[in-house]
Amino acid sequence: MITLLGALLCGCSDKGESRQSVYYSQIKSVDKLALAQLSLSKMATLDDLKFEEAKGLKQKIAAIGDAMKIGDRKAAYSYTTYMRAYIDLSTLNPSDVYVDDERKRIVLSLPEIQTEYQGRDPGFKEEHYRVTGLRSQVNADERARIKEHMNTMLLAEVEENPIYRNQLIEEARDNATAYFQSLAGAEGYEVVVNFKN
Amino acid sequence: MVKASRYIILILVILIGAGMAWWWANSPEAEAARIRDRQAKIVDLKPMVRLCTVDLYEEVPIRANIATRHLFGRTTLTGSISYDLDSVGQQWRGDTLYVSLPRETVEIYESTDPYAYQVYDTWNDKFLGSGKFTAHEENVIKAKVVDNYRRRLYERGDVARARKEARTKLAQMLSTVTQKPAVVE
Repeated sequence: MITLLGALLCGCSDKGESRQSVYYSQIKSVDKLALAQLSLSKMATLDDLKFEEAKGLKQKIAAIGDAMKIGDRKAAYSYTTYMRAYIDLSTLNPSDVYVDDERKRIVLSLPEIQTEYQGRDPGFKEEHYRVTGLRSQVNADERARIKEHMNTMLLAEVEENPIYRNQLIEEARDNATAYFQSLAGAEGYEVVVNFKN
Repeated sequence: MVKASRYIILILVILIGAGMAWWWANSPEAEAARIRDRQAKIVDLKPMVRLCTVDLYEEVPIRANIATRHLFGRTTLTGSISYDLDSVGQQWRGDTLYVSLPRETVEIYESTDPYAYQVYDTWNDKFLGSGKFTAHEENVIKAKVVDNYRRRLYERGDVARARKEARTKLAQMLSTVTQKPAVVE
């Protein structure tokens, strides 16, 4: 079981990578061990631009135009974005696994936990929709622009606020520690798990 | 005097016009609507132990129609093919360890890259017919795009390749561990 850890951590070093250009599959063989997933929900509302909030001539003219139109145009949309925490097993060296058979102790130095965006829901959840009078319906291209705006805002939020990544990394660290301890724990070994920075 | 006044008025009109033109040129673009976003909220945080053998990234054109209404756009799909190591079953038969690899988890999402989803055109074959799609209709179209992509992953052997790679990795790992032959099924 001792070597299980070494093998688990080192046995995945064969790395093949194949990429194709745009419109073709980009598939990369990786040695990732995914340890936690974070789901983030983002919501946005859409309505008319108010005159007092409009900036510049173009927006003020558009706001006046909206105010003169008959009816309301309001909608709210949400979707979920997924982040993942993982360790890259291919970066692990044999020296990162230290086994002390006499003391029945294993010290593991795991690679730094990394995070990445897995992606977001392809669909859009329509939380609210009210278009009345002579107002135009919200079309697919407008929803695509709203989603793009929401995505930009979400990425900026995650960058500015470390709490999102920190929670994910913390969960992954706890999970990795528990997993590797359970692997060798059955053999009566004490497992100490460290993470590189 | 009258002639001088006319020149002054003309200069004022030109100045006002130039001022308006400058204001217009320096104004931010008028969006069709105001979008206000709420702060992102964590809805789930779950632990997992998954061996990820393949990462996916592909740009996919979207060509769809509902009756006489048509939509053309593109989306960038991302995802991975992974195996849940918590679900790995193992059994000794004689001197050999047999391991059953769990069914793969194929996750497909829309990318968070900029402009990962764009709609280029919507139209209606009927004269003066609306080319608009509801959010529900758009979701159905996108679900089909994801389903088709998932099917293609199986058809072109990406999932089989991922499974083969996972079997090789697990077999190497377990035979090293046990110092005995390991077969991953």
